[in-house]
Amino acid sequence: MGTRSSHVAIIPDVDDIRRDTGFSQASLLRLYHRFRALDRNKKGYLSRMDLQQIGALAVNPLGDRIIDSFFPHGSQCVDFPGFVRVLAHFRPIENEDPGTRDPKQPEPLNSRMNKLRFAFQLYDLDGDGKISRQEMLQVLRLMVGVQVTEEQLESITDRTVQEADEDGDGAVSFLEFTKSLEKMNIEQKMSIRILK
Amino acid sequence: MSHQLKGLEKEAGGGVRGRARSGHPHPGDRSGRRPSTKRTSKAKGSRVQHGVQPSQKERPGGSPRPGSPWRKPMERPARRSRPEGLRRLERSSMEERTCQGRRKRDGRTSFKEQRAHPKKEKEVVGKELKKPRSSSLVSSTSSDESLSEEELARILEQVEEKKKLIATMRNKPWPMAKKLTELREAQAFVENYEGALGKGKGKRLYAYRMQMAKKWVKFKRDFDNFKTQCIPWEMKIKDIESHFGSSVASYFIFLRWMYGVNLVLFGLIFGLVIIPEVLMGVPYGSIPRKTVPRAEEAKAMDFSVLWDFEGYIKYSALFYGYYNNQRTIGWLRYRLPMAYFMVGVSMFGYSLMIVIRSMASNTQGSTGEGENDNFTFSFKMFTSWDYLIGNSETADNKYASITTSFKESIVDEQESNKEENVHLTRFLRVLANFLIICCLCGSGYLIYFVVKRSQEFSKMQNVSWYERNEVEIVMSLLGMFCPPLFETIAALENYHPRIGLKWQLGRIFALFLGNLYTFLLALMDDVHLKLANEETIKNITHWTLFNYYNSSGWNDSVPRPPLHPADVPRGSCWETAVGIEFMRLTVSDMLVTYITILVGDFLRACFVRFMNHCWCWDLEAGFPSYAEFDISGNVLGLIFNQGMIWMGSFYAPGLLGINVLRLLTSMYFQCWAVMSSNVPHERVFKASRSNNFYMGLLLLVLFLSLLPVAYTIMSLPPSFDCGPFSGKNRMYDVLQETIENDFPTFLGKIFAFLANPGLIIPAILLMFLAIYYLNSVSKGLSRANAQLRKKIQALREIEKSHKSVKRRASNSENRSKHQNDTQLQLTKEEPMPLSASQCQTLDKKTGNTATFSSARKIPQPASRHLTGSQPLGVKPDAGQSQPQTHPFRSATGKSIQRTPR
Repeated sequence: MGTRSSHVAIIPDVDDIRRDTGFSQASLLRLYHRFRALDRNKKGYLSRMDLQQIGALAVNPLGDRIIDSFFPHGSQCVDFPGFVRVLAHFRPIENEDPGTRDPKQPEPLNSRMNKLRFAFQLYDLDGDGKISRQEMLQVLRLMVGVQVTEEQLESITDRTVQEADEDGDGAVSFLEFTKSLEKMNIEQKMSIRILK
Repeated sequence: MSHQLKGLEKEAGGGVRGRARSGHPHPGDRSGRRPSTKRTSKAKGSRVQHGVQPSQKERPGGSPRPGSPWRKPMERPARRSRPEGLRRLERSSMEERTCQGRRKRDGRTSFKEQRAHPKKEKEVVGKELKKPRSSSLVSSTSSDESLSEEELARILEQVEEKKKLIATMRNKPWPMAKKLTELREAQAFVENYEGALGKGKGKRLYAYRMQMAKKWVKFKRDFDNFKTQCIPWEMKIKDIESHFGSSVASYFIFLRWMYGVNLVLFGLIFGLVIIPEVLMGVPYGSIPRKTVPRAEEAKAMDFSVLWDFEGYIKYSALFYGYYNNQRTIGWLRYRLPMAYFMVGVSMFGYSLMIVIRSMASNTQGSTGEGENDNFTFSFKMFTSWDYLIGNSETADNKYASITTSFKESIVDEQESNKEENVHLTRFLRVLANFLIICCLCGSGYLIYFVVKRSQEFSKMQNVSWYERNEVEIVMSLLGMFCPPLFETIAALENYHPRIGLKWQLGRIFALFLGNLYTFLLALMDDVHLKLANEETIKNITHWTLFNYYNSSGWNDSVPRPPLHPADVPRGSCWETAVGIEFMRLTVSDMLVTYITILVGDFLRACFVRFMNHCWCWDLEAGFPSYAEFDISGNVLGLIFNQGMIWMGSFYAPGLLGINVLRLLTSMYFQCWAVMSSNVPHERVFKASRSNNFYMGLLLLVLFLSLLPVAYTIMSLPPSFDCGPFSGKNRMYDVLQETIENDFPTFLGKIFAFLANPGLIIPAILLMFLAIYYLNSVSKGLSRANAQLRKKIQALREIEKSHKSVKRRASNSENRSKHQNDTQLQLTKEEPMPLSASQCQTLDKKTGNTATFSSARKIPQPASRHLTGSQPLGVKPDAGQSQPQTHPFRSATGKSIQRTPR
C-alpha cells in the first residue's frame, strides 16, 4: 500500500481530480496507467487516434460515438483530468445519504442527472440540446445494422419522438429524455463496477 | 515524463488555479523521479520562501510540532521505512539547498502560494481541521506501513477532537449545511483512523479487517458471476432469442425448465427405488420375476428384442415387474414396496407443486413488468445498445436482438393500432371456430371409428399389415395434416400472433387429446384382458409347482431341489406391459422428432441453400424456402411427452432416465437445428414473459395423466407374481400395512380418523371457499390496477396535448410580441421567448405593460445571449446556448426564477 500512495502522487493535480470525480486513489492510479498506456507518443494527452486503436472499441459499431464523448466541443485532444471526468460518469453511485451532501456543491459527476446527460450527448450529435429525428435515425442505423428497412427505421424514430416529445417540437429535449427514461434503472445501467 | 510535460502545458494555460486553491503545491509537482526539471524547481522555490512553514503540509500525517527541528531527527532513521510521500519531502528539502538560485525567477508563483498559505496555516494550527485536507490526510496516512509515535499521538489527538466535534455539533452556531458536511467528514475520519490507532496488533487487525472486507466484496461479486454462469444453456438461449425472438426462446426456456423438473424426478426415483433395489434386493435370476423365462431365453439378448424392451431389459430394474414384494430388503431393512409407492405419489405431488408454483411466480413477475408500456420505443432507442461490447460477435448478436425487439414492438404496435371492421372480424372468427370444431369432430369420429374397427380386426385371425397398424397410421396422418390446416383457418381470424399462438396451441391440444385417449383406451382394454387371464395363469402356476413337488418317482427322503425360476410359469404382469408400452412410445416419439428435424429442417435447408444456383425458380424466396421454427408443435410435443412420462413412470421407473437423456439431447440438437436451418418468423412477436399458457397446458396434461394412474392404483388388483405389491388386493394396501406394522397404534388411529369422510368433506369445502375468496380479491385488485394504469395514461396524454397547444400558442404570441417591442427582444434567442411569452400569457390581463415587465424580469439572459444572438428567423439553430433550461421552464412554469441562471 505504501508504494501505491507514492504512485498516486505522480498524477498531476491529483487532489483536484479526486475532488471533482470522487474516484478512489487506487482507481485513479489505474486509470492513470491506462491513460499513459493509451497515450502512444507520450504526448500527455489523448487524441482520437489513440482511442481508436483500442481494439474493443473499434469493434463496437457505436465506438465513434463513445470516442466523440471524450472530446467535447470539437476539441481534438483530451488530457488526463478530462479523461477521468468522462469516466467519472460511470462510477457506481454509493448509497450514501444524499441529504448529507452540501447543496451548494455541484452534483457529483456520477449522479443520475449527469449520467443521463452523458447518455443524451451520445445521441445529440450536433450538440444543440435536442435529439432531432435525424440524429435519432443516424444512431439507430448504427444500432441495428442493415437488417431493417429505411421505412421501418423511420417509423421507429417517429414513434419514439411521438412517445417522448411533450412540447410538440418534433425533437427530444434533455428534459423529455429524462422523463422518458424515468423508470429506467440508469444508476445501475450506467455504472461500471470497476470504477469504484 | 508525459505528466510533467502536461504539467508544463497546464501551467502555460493558466493552470495555477489548482495550486492556488488548495493552498499548497501538488504532490505531483515534486513526484517526478527526475527532480531536475524546471517545474520541480519552481515548486521547490516556492516552498523555500515559506521557510519553516512548508513542512506542515507535506507531512499530511501530521507532525506534532511544525518546523524543521522536528524534521531533522526524524529524517535519518525513517528513511528506510518511510513511504514515498515523506521520502519525497526529504528529497525536496535537499534540493531546496541546491536550487535556491532559481527561487527568484519564480517569484510570481511563490507569491501566489504565499497568499494562499497563511490561511491554511491557520487552519492547521487552530486544529479546526477544515474539510478538504482530511482527504489528503487519509490518503497518505492510511497507506503508511509504520507510523512513528508522534504521528500516532497526533492522529489520536485528532480523532479525539473529531469525536468531541461530533458530540458537540449540535451546539455550534453554524448553518445546517456546514454542520452536515463537518459531521460527515468527522465521522469518516474517525472511522478511518480509529482502527489504525491500535498499537501494533490493533492496527494489523484493522488492516486485516479491511482486507477481509475487500475480499468479501470480491468474493460476492465472483459468486454472482459464477451463479450466472451456472445457469445451463443461458448463452445458447440468449443467442436464439437474439436471432429468433422471445417466442422461440420461450420454447427453449420451457424445455430447460422441463429438464430441471425431470432431473429432480429422476433423482427421486433413481435414488430411492432403483439404486436400493439393485444394491440390496435379491439378485437377478434368483426368483421367477427376476428371470427371463425359458421360452424367451434364446432370443433375450438379440438387439431386435431388446429394442422392443423385451428380453433382458424387460426383466430388469427398469420395469415394475422386477421388484420383489419383500417388505424390507438388505441390512438397512429398507421398505422397498413402501418406498416405491411413496415415490410414485410424491412424483405427482412434486410435479403439481412445481408447476403451480412456477405459474404463481410467473404471474407475480408479469404484473411487476407490465408498467413500462408508455415509453417502449424510447426505452429501446435510448438504452438498448450495450456500449461495453468489445467483441464483434457479440455486437452482431446485439444487432440481431435489437432488430428483433424492435420488430416485436412494431408488431405489438400495429396490432394495438389496427382499425378494422368489427363485424367482419367477428364473423370471420366465428366462422373459423366453426370450421375448426368441425375438423376436430371429424377427426374425433375418425379415431373412434378406427379404434372400433381395430377391435374387430384384433378378433380376426389373418389381418394385413395395414389393418394391424391402422390406428397408428390414421393418428399420425391426423397429427401431420391437422395443425397446418388449423393454421390456415386461423389466418382468417386475424389475431395478434401471440394470441393466435395460444389458440393454435389449444386446438392442437384438443386434437392430441384424441391421440392420448385412443392410446389409453387400447391400453386399458389390454390390461383388462390380461387381468381376466390372470386367474387361470395363477391356477396353472400353482398346479405346476404342486405337481413338481408332489410328483411320484422321486425319493421322498431327499427334498427336491427347487424348480429353476426360469421354468416357473408366470402371469403376464400387466404393469410391466404398460410400462413397456410407454417406453416404446417415448423412444419412437423421440426418434420421429429427431428425424423430422433432420429431414424437414436440415435437409430442406441444405437443399434450398445449395440447389438454389441451379434451379428454375428462387428456392429461398419461393416454394420450399427455409423452415420456420414450429413453436406450437414443439411445445405440445414436449407437453404430451411429459404426460407420457408421468403416466408411465410408475410402471417403468427407468422411463425417467430415458426422458432425461431425451431432453438433454433435444436441447442441443434443437438448438443446433434452429440456428443452422431455420429462419425467424415473418412476424416476430414478443412472447409474454410468463409462459403461463404452456404451464397451464402442462397442468392440464398432468391432471389428465394423473387420472389413469390413480385409477389403476386405486381400483385394479396388482399382478399376483410380479412387482412390489404382488399378493396384495390393491396397491395402496402397502400404506395400511406399514401403518399397522411399523407405527405405534395411536398413529394408526389418527390416520383412520383423518380418513373419515366427515373430516375430508368439510376440509374440501373450506378450500373451495378460500379459493373463491382469494380469487375475488385478486380480481378486484387487478381491476383497480387496470383502472389506475388507464388513469396514468390519460393524464399523460392530456398533459402532452396541453403542452403542445401551449407551445404553439406561445410561439405565435411570441412573434407578435417581438413585433411589439423589438428593441428589447431582438437580442433574444429562440428558447428564451418561450419563457418570456409564458410570463406574458400569465400577465396578459394587465395589459400592454405586462409585456414590458416580463421583459424586464429577464434582462440577464438577454444580455448574456447578446453575443450569440441571431436574427429572428433562424429557428433551427435556436437553443444552442442554453438548451436544457428551456423545457424546464416550460414544464415548471417557473420561468422567472430560472432564467437568470
